[in-house]
Amino acid sequence: MPLGTLDRRPPPLFHQGPSALTRLVIFSALALFLMAADTRFAITRPLRAGLAVVLLPIERALQMPFDMAGAGAEYVRGLQAAQADLNKASVKLVAQSERASRVEELTAENNRLRALIDLKPALPVRSVAAGVLYEASDPFSRKIFIDRGATHGVVPGAPVIDEAGVLGQVTRVYPMSSEVTLLVDKEAAIPVLNTRTRQRSAAFGADGSSLELRFMAGNSDVKVGDLLQTSGVDGIYPPGIDVARVTKVDPRADSAFARIALQPTASADGVRHVLVLEPVAMQLPPRPDAEAEAATAAASSGKGAKPGAKGTKK
Amino acid sequence: MIMARGTDDQLLLPVNPLFLWFSLFAALVFNMLPFGRVAAMPDVLALTLVFWNVHQPRRVGIGAAFVFGLLMDVHQGSVLGQHAQAYTLLSFLAITVHRRLLWFSLVEQALQILPLFIASHAVSLIVRLLSSGSFPGWTLLLAPLFEAMMWPVVTILLLAPQRRAPDRDEQRPL
Repeated sequence: MPLGTLDRRPPPLFHQGPSALTRLVIFSALALFLMAADTRFAITRPLRAGLAVVLLPIERALQMPFDMAGAGAEYVRGLQAAQADLNKASVKLVAQSERASRVEELTAENNRLRALIDLKPALPVRSVAAGVLYEASDPFSRKIFIDRGATHGVVPGAPVIDEAGVLGQVTRVYPMSSEVTLLVDKEAAIPVLNTRTRQRSAAFGADGSSLELRFMAGNSDVKVGDLLQTSGVDGIYPPGIDVARVTKVDPRADSAFARIALQPTASADGVRHVLVLEPVAMQLPPRPDAEAEAATAAASSGKGAKPGAKGTKK
Repeated sequence: MIMARGTDDQLLLPVNPLFLWFSLFAALVFNMLPFGRVAAMPDVLALTLVFWNVHQPRRVGIGAAFVFGLLMDVHQGSVLGQHAQAYTLLSFLAITVHRRLLWFSLVEQALQILPLFIASHAVSLIVRLLSSGSFPGWTLLLAPLFEAMMWPVVTILLLAPQRRAPDRDEQRPL
């Protein structure tokens, strides 16, 4: 390499731009503004979505070697292991098909009975299957990213389940991917129903690996091993999906509430495929407009009409 | 320009800007590898940013650190601005020490770089605890240690292209 190609210019004396301290102040202020805007006003959503779309191809490409390693391990395990898996799966399928036929019969019977006593039919649940892109390496929270986004009909707040139970909830939706906050995240909360006592309560994410049942009296009827399911009163989760099992009940003497630890039935470690459900509230008929209803009630009060009877029915 | 720096009086070739930005991009990609959630995981992108801030402060400044921080924030789904703030501070400190640092040996450099990484992780921790994140455990303290320990390795790797012979011949093909 001839020496003439080397950079021989002296460093600039005057044109160095703003000083490092000035830049630190400017960029720190910008970062603080972004943090406040992100947590309080949600006006940074387009910026985030744009950057997420830019990063998505890299994330997908990075997932590939890990997928290939998994596939290679499967290949090496050989035919026998595959056949054992197949046998196990077919046994499980037989057990489930027996149960499924019973469920269908029960559903039909349930529908007939509901029709008899004039109850509204139960809501169907629409869903989108999604693959897990990666788990966020952020040590301060528990989140996974899935490869279905706004273009596939995922909406913020949608529940996410896997075969074992509720996994979490969609918290941010990008055009081609979404962020799912797991139930064990400190920010997460879910209304639950104790299947043994039919008692409703709320479970909160504790320390990133378990849940806790808060605001339960020290003498409340909760035992280790109780199964908690979604209660279906929140307008988000459909009722009857497994959430967690009680692992520890500690009736503390120094507090009015017991400390109840839960282990989620769905484990986020190693989950590859999930199902994104549509929030139940989106299928409900819209709430009657309060002002319009008040106006109708005022107009028809002389005739003695019932104001509540004008709900919009499907 | 060719400059002799540090204890080894070797003249360095000018940096190739393509290699510089490629190394930063590669560090970003390394940070994005799905290794799972380990608090003690060293932040390779921060390390590479500090390296180029120290060696090429006129090319890689606080603005670049800020942008890479934003990318990390979006990737991890954390508060937008958390990594940006941490990297901004890191970059400022690196530019502040860059004239003094290169006169020491690699191990002494690593010792002087350690407080920078501690400060950057502390900023991240404070931001997340204020914006309702959970405490990830004391293994978080290991991350800056690992980063400082990787400093000599990163220096040798990233300076290797500049240490090549200016005129290659049979004896020095590289």
